[in-house]
Amino acid sequence: MRVCPTHAIRVKDAKAQYRSETCIDCGVCLTACSRDAIGATTTSVEDLSRFKFKVAVPSPVLFGQFPIGITPAQIVDGLLEFGFDAVWDYSVDINLVARAIQQYVDQWTGPTPLISVSCPVVVRLVQVLYPAMVGQLITIQPAREIAGREAKRHFSTKFGLREDEIAAIYITPCQAKTISILQPAEGVVSNLDGALGFREIYNRVLACASLKRSDGSKNSQPPIVRNSGLLRTHVSEGMGRLVQQHRYLQVTGLSNTIQVFNDIEKGKLRNVGFLEAYSCWSGCAGGNLTVANLYVAGTTLRAQARSLPEMDPVTEAEVERRFSTEDFSLKAPVRPRPARETALKERVHMRQLAEDVLATLPGLDCGLCGAPTCKELAKDVSLGDASKDDCVFLSEHRLQELRRVYVRSAA
Amino acid sequence: MPEELLRRTFEIQGRDFENAGERSAQVTTILKDLDVDPNTVLRVGVVAFEAEMNVVMYAQRATLTFVLTDQEIVVEVADDGPGIPDIELAMQPGYSTASDEMREMGFGYGLGLPNIRKNSDVFSLQSEVGKGTRVYSKVRLASYG
Repeated sequence: MRVCPTHAIRVKDAKAQYRSETCIDCGVCLTACSRDAIGATTTSVEDLSRFKFKVAVPSPVLFGQFPIGITPAQIVDGLLEFGFDAVWDYSVDINLVARAIQQYVDQWTGPTPLISVSCPVVVRLVQVLYPAMVGQLITIQPAREIAGREAKRHFSTKFGLREDEIAAIYITPCQAKTISILQPAEGVVSNLDGALGFREIYNRVLACASLKRSDGSKNSQPPIVRNSGLLRTHVSEGMGRLVQQHRYLQVTGLSNTIQVFNDIEKGKLRNVGFLEAYSCWSGCAGGNLTVANLYVAGTTLRAQARSLPEMDPVTEAEVERRFSTEDFSLKAPVRPRPARETALKERVHMRQLAEDVLATLPGLDCGLCGAPTCKELAKDVSLGDASKDDCVFLSEHRLQELRRVYVRSAA
Repeated sequence: MPEELLRRTFEIQGRDFENAGERSAQVTTILKDLDVDPNTVLRVGVVAFEAEMNVVMYAQRATLTFVLTDQEIVVEVADDGPGIPDIELAMQPGYSTASDEMREMGFGYGLGLPNIRKNSDVFSLQSEVGKGTRVYSKVRLASYG
């Protein structure tokens, strides 16, 4: 409850509840709660059986999850063994998106910085805590969405299938991207059909890949990762490498990101043109569904990137071919959440009420009332969502009630 | 007539560099809490901060009054400092009477008062040598143009 950066969690009747309108899907609560009181939203493997053709769209950081010596091609074989019919390499898609962003940033005349929408937590953070900046979110779809659309188009043409018979499944390092696919922030339908976390596929893919490595059998697949661009954008370098000549800033980690947004709000960061923020420390390799140690994964990815060329002719030609024919813009604008409708006078009144309540609270932020801090309880009271008597210091009754729930011998 | 919604007064202590900026930070926190548009918050923040710094640098003590109405935000700072002998000169960007010590701390570039005026919709400055200075600034809320 207390770790939630947007104070979206309350404990009512010994159960954690969250307010979906202020939750940003960061997953901090999942990591913090040792009692599994909070579960992640995922797609189950069974959900996939209804599709005729299943294509995996792995996040590039997947290739850094396995022991050194296991190649991307062996990992692809593992995914096919897992049950996918194909695996999509989105090197081309990421370069297309980088180009679209470059154009967008070049033509922009509004307030800066422009903010990348690659990390879904950052998008929701802006919606909830920095609503005035939603106009600065770059309205270009993330590369994974473009990849999903193209993968479906590609295989439907190739095998004469309808697009709804094909599932494009993102292999994800975090639950936030799963939610961004199942319930996009713009309120539209994602191009992807679901997501599986690294943890769900890891063991079977590892077993298969290790076998391939030890028996030295030839890979059935052509090399999936043809150039280092895709990997590099996911190990510390970010899109700044592809989108050039703009005052670029990259920040990772949720608390660091919040700090940067606060600075933007105070007018301290006037010289940044393009901001790429990631909720996870060190970027997607630090996602909450990853398996490998974050730093080891980074080293593995960098080692793989070193042995590959910056760009290859096949990818380059494909980027050239597709760029002029596709539309990369988001399907709908991102709007502030929750919608604010009260008049200033009303807001002043509520704030005054909350301040008066706060003055009567002990200020210990013990959390026994079910709100994370005294200040949050005071706010809840002003909104009519809680009572002052939820505070154990103000109500004997509340204390006895908690004793009954939490202390077994008192029951 | 604008309707007064909120009024706060803060005491500022001269030479208290450690807590300099605290009062203006409190003002911006209130405005942010109230969902006032960020550009307005920013402008009021600059006004309050510069006025607060002037007190910290030159005066003994001062009162910062912050008033929010349904149409505008008023920040008024009245101090008991040395006063300004030539107001026109003091309003010129780059003119400063700051000591070397203040400049070493990163202040005293002569931009404080010009900055306050730049960010205000209504600005006035009254000063009497030996008595004190009063800075008055009004910023209109965005929806009131």
